[in-house]
Amino acid sequence: MTGAEHVVSKLMRESLIDRRVIAGTEAPVRRILPQLNVIQIGGQSIMDRGRHAVLPLLDEILANQAEHTQVIGVGPGVRARHILSVGLDLGLPTGALATLAAKSAAQNAYMVSCLLAAHGFVYLEAPFIVQLLPAMLAAARGAVFNGVPPYDLWEHPPALGKIPPHGSDAGSYLVGEVFGARSVILIKDVDGLYTADPKHHPDAGFIPEISAADLLALRLPTLPVEPVILDLLIRSRLVTSVRIINGLGPGNLTKALAGDPVGTLIHR
Amino acid sequence: MPQPVENAMLTDLGKRLVSGSLSDESLMRATENTPNLALVPWANVVKIGGQSIMDRGRAGLMPVVQEIVANLPRHKMILGTGAGTRARHIYSLAIDLGLPVGVLTVLGTAVAWQNAQMLQYLLASHGIAFLEPEGFASVPHYLMERGAVICQGMPPYKLWEQNPDIGRIPPQRTDTGCFLIAEVFGARKMIFVKDEDGLYSADPKKHPHAEFIPRISVQALLQRDLDDLIVERAVLQIMLNARHIREIQFVNGLKPGQLTAALDGEPVGTIIYNAETGARA
Repeated sequence: MTGAEHVVSKLMRESLIDRRVIAGTEAPVRRILPQLNVIQIGGQSIMDRGRHAVLPLLDEILANQAEHTQVIGVGPGVRARHILSVGLDLGLPTGALATLAAKSAAQNAYMVSCLLAAHGFVYLEAPFIVQLLPAMLAAARGAVFNGVPPYDLWEHPPALGKIPPHGSDAGSYLVGEVFGARSVILIKDVDGLYTADPKHHPDAGFIPEISAADLLALRLPTLPVEPVILDLLIRSRLVTSVRIINGLGPGNLTKALAGDPVGTLIHR
Repeated sequence: MPQPVENAMLTDLGKRLVSGSLSDESLMRATENTPNLALVPWANVVKIGGQSIMDRGRAGLMPVVQEIVANLPRHKMILGTGAGTRARHIYSLAIDLGLPVGVLTVLGTAVAWQNAQMLQYLLASHGIAFLEPEGFASVPHYLMERGAVICQGMPPYKLWEQNPDIGRIPPQRTDTGCFLIAEVFGARKMIFVKDEDGLYSADPKKHPHAEFIPRISVQALLQRDLDDLIVERAVLQIMLNARHIREIQFVNGLKPGQLTAALDGEPVGTIIYNAETGARA
């Protein structure tokens, strides 16, 4: 029996599961698009509110366009919750639920791209993010994408329950991380992190800045971001923080883009 | 704000889902108590190793192909391919160039894709098709009509692949992609075809006296904390949370008959099983 035919490389014949081999691959990472800002617009928190919430926010994005390169991720919102509910009732697996829910975010992203079209924004599906994002940013003024990552049928079953764990917060963050973006800003309908849900506990304390590990240790009953993003931040290389801001407050996005301390910064 | 959804249309769980937070543990726990529908419970997922089988060319691959053909009348198979030595080359090069993990996944996917194409050429005369992830809605049809279908093993994460804990290699590669296909379809079996008899306490290529492990729980295996394994660590982690796939099997593709035995339900090679017998069992 002849052996395998190998291409000569440092990893030739190695097990990519061997810890020592993997540890030996540690090396610096280059930022592909260091000027990029990834702006994630919440589905339920912003999009589902309609024009009074969405249009002022888009105006603020446009007002910042001359100074900042922005790509806009968009979340799914209540239609995803509805199809998750129907899908769970039917017994569908997490991967099927992820594929279905992602379409709701695609709808929202497409609407945002229409509203920004006259200003040169384009809607990019995941394959075009892979192939065309740099060209589109050079030719157009910005891009809008589906915040939900294209995990589809390959979404992980979560530790608890069946809801797909990687939603639009995770997907937008990962776009920022892979391109080495300048910032990832998550736009919600709360000012940031509180020690309890401010919608139900008006006396909750505000947290302007916290590490992902400390936030996990607090074991808050709910978070305004997907819990999985904390794990992603702990393993981050390039984008080591995300900022949560209130998209219902005029000027917050502008401050966040300028690097001013607004909302809550969660860092590695 | 108006009520987002007319409540009368929704289940009790649905009402909580449209108004609640998806980070709420009690709500997530409530989604646990829903049925687990197995979409294609008669399908078997068979992963053909990249470095272990494909890179061996005719000598390693053709007997496996013949065995697949012989099993077509009796077992429905989703055939996924690994990447192998060309992936190792491009990972080395891309790491040297400073490219991030997501880009490495895009590059590695191309290698698994090449292997899937080659496998498809070898099975073309039996009417076996290759499907991209975007075409997966057609998988059940091809399985019913032709008995097998080919896909590349990498999950379609592309630039959205996550960083590993250590190093720069994408942590979720073709073992993980094939396992997740088996899980989402509620498949009958997940069989990995490699070039070893199964799992050993160390890499048997480097440690000839390593102990063979024919059967072990995923919990016990994680506890042993071995430096090297026969399967990506991500598979073991995901297996702990899987609803459908209770065990995975590893057979030696260089030994004729092992794949057939595994498809027939015999305990050849190594079986890693989930020992948890809780609500998900």
